[in-house]
Amino acid sequence: MDRTAWVLNETELRAWLQDLIAGERTVVAPVAEDGVVVYRPLAAAGQAVLEPRGKARWSPKEFLFPRTEALYSYSFKGDAVAITDPPRPERPQVLFGVRSCDAAGLARLDEIFLSGRTDPLYAARREATTVVTAGCAAADPECFCTAVGGSPVGEEAADLQLVPLDGGWLLRVLSGKGEALVGEAAAGWSAPPAESGERVAALEREVAAQIGRNPVPQEWAKVLEGGFASPSWDRLAAHCLGCSICAYVCPSCSCFDMNHEANAWCGEQCRSWDACTFVPFTLHASGHNPRATRGGRYRQRVLHKFAFTAEGEAHFRCVGCGRCVALCPAGLDISQIVTAAAAAIQEEGADAAR
Amino acid sequence: MQPAEAVPNLYHPNLMRIAGFADETPDVRTLKLQFADAGEARAFTGWRPGQFGQFTVFGAGESVFALANKPWHPNGGAEPPTIECTFRAIGKVTNALRALSTGQTVGFRGPYGNHFPLDDWRGKHLVYIGGGIGMAALRSAMLETLDRKAEFGEVLILNGARTVADMVYKEEMPSWQAVQGVRVVRCVDPGGEGEGWDGEVGLLPNVFEKLALDPADRIVVACGPPVMLHYLFLSLGKLGYRPEQVVTTLENKMKCGIGHCGRCYVGPFSVCRDGPVVTWAELNELPKDY
Ligand SMILES: Cc1cc2nc3c(=O)[nH]c(=O)nc-3n(C[C@H](O)[C@H](O)[C@H](O)COP(=O)(O)OP(=O)(O)OC[C@H]3O[C@@H](n4cnc5c(N)ncnc54)[C@H](O)[C@@H]3O)c2cc1C
Ligand code: SF4
Ligand code: SF4
Repeated sequence: MDRTAWVLNETELRAWLQDLIAGERTVVAPVAEDGVVVYRPLAAAGQAVLEPRGKARWSPKEFLFPRTEALYSYSFKGDAVAITDPPRPERPQVLFGVRSCDAAGLARLDEIFLSGRTDPLYAARREATTVVTAGCAAADPECFCTAVGGSPVGEEAADLQLVPLDGGWLLRVLSGKGEALVGEAAAGWSAPPAESGERVAALEREVAAQIGRNPVPQEWAKVLEGGFASPSWDRLAAHCLGCSICAYVCPSCSCFDMNHEANAWCGEQCRSWDACTFVPFTLHASGHNPRATRGGRYRQRVLHKFAFTAEGEAHFRCVGCGRCVALCPAGLDISQIVTAAAAAIQEEGADAAR
Repeated sequence: MQPAEAVPNLYHPNLMRIAGFADETPDVRTLKLQFADAGEARAFTGWRPGQFGQFTVFGAGESVFALANKPWHPNGGAEPPTIECTFRAIGKVTNALRALSTGQTVGFRGPYGNHFPLDDWRGKHLVYIGGGIGMAALRSAMLETLDRKAEFGEVLILNGARTVADMVYKEEMPSWQAVQGVRVVRCVDPGGEGEGWDGEVGLLPNVFEKLALDPADRIVVACGPPVMLHYLFLSLGKLGYRPEQVVTTLENKMKCGIGHCGRCYVGPFSVCRDGPVVTWAELNELPKDY
């Protein structure tokens, strides 16, 4: 029998989830809170929203990269300063029912926090995290994973993968961590149908066909980077409010601010989410701001997602979840803007050559 | 109960005691810092000229400054490390730092960033051009150059400021000038000269042009506000300097100092990780985002 894949019906899945919750791990999954689906630690398996489509309002990134956290705390009285490092992240956690796009977002965070000087806090949480993804059987209107090289059943950063099949779920082991999470639970589960591989491939094609947005070819990375000075950025970003909702909901945005929160005796060095679409992001104390215009700031958002890739990285940093498209109060659509910017830059290039 | 195990922390600063300070101008101060803990002092591995550090004012926050004194190298405890920084009081952290006095405690983490390739410049003539507080980023390399003067050709130091009162390192310039083969030129912007000023008057790039140096075998190291660098590069181009001969430092706003916070990017180039030292040639390859 194939020991790395099974089919589970709804009851079996929930029973397994309940066992996981009862264990020593924190299990985080999508739950409905006041009508909005968000990731929360589960108290009971019944809370989890496990649907064959749809995504949570926020990505699960905050369970690895919290919205705000103390990097250390300190007390200071006169000249005696005492610093306390944060405790090692508490318990192992399972991120359960994560969409493929959001899991790919975690891989993008890994590239930042685990590269160069590894961030020990992030690394400790990452190490203690097992990711169970849930593939999609249908795309939402804003989704465009396949346009940026992703897949509704993508395997990136997944330790285990659930794929919706015949009203139940195919469960596949994709890593040692995933295998460990399944452990003995698999004893009662059924073997997958023989043709499950083809069924998953068919599902992938079906969902891809529902995604109407223009594919973004890898070559555009160079085109966009070459168009840094293009006047089109000001035009394309003209309606951006600088609210940075796009960055906060984005699974791959990883920029942060560091500030001291303190009173006269004690304080904390806090790290909190930040965004390149905010005016003060690059504002020097002298008043100089290299990104003084809306166009300049929005361009950074687009180029850091679609160009400016590190040596050897052959993928975009946008994973196509579409959250920023759905939630931007000014209606900016990053996938349309990338297409429009690339077209404008190529046009300007052609004009210059004439 | 056992206390929870702490994570080794990239952001944990060393505690430093303010060992002394000198006021350079009404709003610029140079601090001398020494490790509060002898063990941390012994473990310190020193720095190379051009690197920077994050300095903490407890209760206010962190600020990035260049490590401004002659590089310290481990010496078996013969001489404990002293770190100097020269900063302008301009905002929240820097004003809080200026309010501190000798004996008080601040934090330091670093060194970060790349450095000036002094060894590659052996045998060449060197020009250091600093505009205002920009001198701080050059001082470490400059002092090392003066120390190893025999390895280099002529050294010219051009210290420019808006006004006489704004000029940094006034006290120590005579000791630079005293080194054989070193010439120090001081200059202030037109209108910034006072009664009895015996230095040059003019914008830095113009003053440099007037010196009419032969670009052959010369390296120009310049640091200053973005406008100054813009006009200086125009002058250097006119004078026939190749972009490879010109070196500067970028000062994008930054928070983490280790390539994670995403703030100091110039295109794919992260100033804290890949810089801050860049040649003009490298700068020409980057988008104008600084
Ligand atoms: C590599 C490098 C070297 C530097 N070397 C020196 C030096 O030797 N001497 C000196 O006086 N200044 C130097 N600066 C600039 C200095 O870091 C800022 O002037 C200082 O951080 C302002 O902090 P503030 O809290 O007083 O100002 P505020 O405007 O109140 O700043 C708020 C926050 O923004 C950040 N910030 C503001 N401006 C800058 C900036 N230009 N660069 C980085 N972070 C900024 C600070 O982290 C601060 O916490 C350097 C900057 C860089 C990037
Ligand atoms: S693109 Fe939209 S969501 Fe992002 S900062 Fe601009 S207005 Fe806000
Ligand atoms: S940029 Fe927008 S569509 Fe792309 S991953 Fe971020 S939130 Fe999703």
